[in-house]
Amino acid sequence: MVEETWAICSTRRGLFTAAAGFASVALLSPPSAHASDDPVALIKQLTGKTPTESDRVHLAMPRVFPNGYTVPLTLGIDSPMTETDHVKYARVLAPRNPLIEVATFHFVPQRSEPRVSLRIRLAEPQYVLVVAEMNDGALLMTKTWVEVATNGCT
Amino acid sequence: MFTPTPRVQVPNAATKGEIFQVKTLIGHQMETGLRHDDQGNVIPRKIVNRFVCRYNDVVVFGVDLHEAVAANPYIEFYLRATESGLLDFVWEEDGGGVYSLAHHLTVG
Repeated sequence: MVEETWAICSTRRGLFTAAAGFASVALLSPPSAHASDDPVALIKQLTGKTPTESDRVHLAMPRVFPNGYTVPLTLGIDSPMTETDHVKYARVLAPRNPLIEVATFHFVPQRSEPRVSLRIRLAEPQYVLVVAEMNDGALLMTKTWVEVATNGCT
Repeated sequence: MFTPTPRVQVPNAATKGEIFQVKTLIGHQMETGLRHDDQGNVIPRKIVNRFVCRYNDVVVFGVDLHEAVAANPYIEFYLRATESGLLDFVWEEDGGGVYSLAHHLTVG
């Protein structure tokens, strides 16, 4: 949803930002080795469990955004939210921020839906991760690339 | 001194079983503790670190917020209408500050 909005309002500034984004990717690739580059290893380190990438977890963010101070984020998880099959929490991580934790959402079966929107800060272009723990303990994850033009963490 | 002001947007009425949207916003600087003032001293961290929504005193939704949540935290979420009653929204800040709002929902 967010991506569509941003595709529609492709202003001149938006195009410039996009062009700048491409240029910096080209200059920086291959990206320097970073301890947090492997999302599975990072999540295993934080939770002690191995996550599986799942298409039940949806994360919508703009691919390119002009400033890192207030980047829109919408996430949703496909779940019936019954006592026997529900999402316990969803945790958002920004591995290339100085502090990688963003927010954790706690859901209650039959009372709240695993669907939220929030605005976050990003320090640099990176993959934003979402990890969701289901009631059976399974960890589901997804990630999406977000290119920010300015550092939102200073 | 800047006083955080919470706001919510919730329907006044819903049908039983319906899923309704809740939009919340609190005016807050969300000082990360990573910034320095003109003298080079660290500006201490002061963020809203927890948000809770209670529905007739039962916790139905909660969020742990960290430094990477944008200033003036906006949270949009979805609840199921079960019975008429009071929705309580509570924001907790570093240092023990608490801000809250209540909203009455009629379920027909």
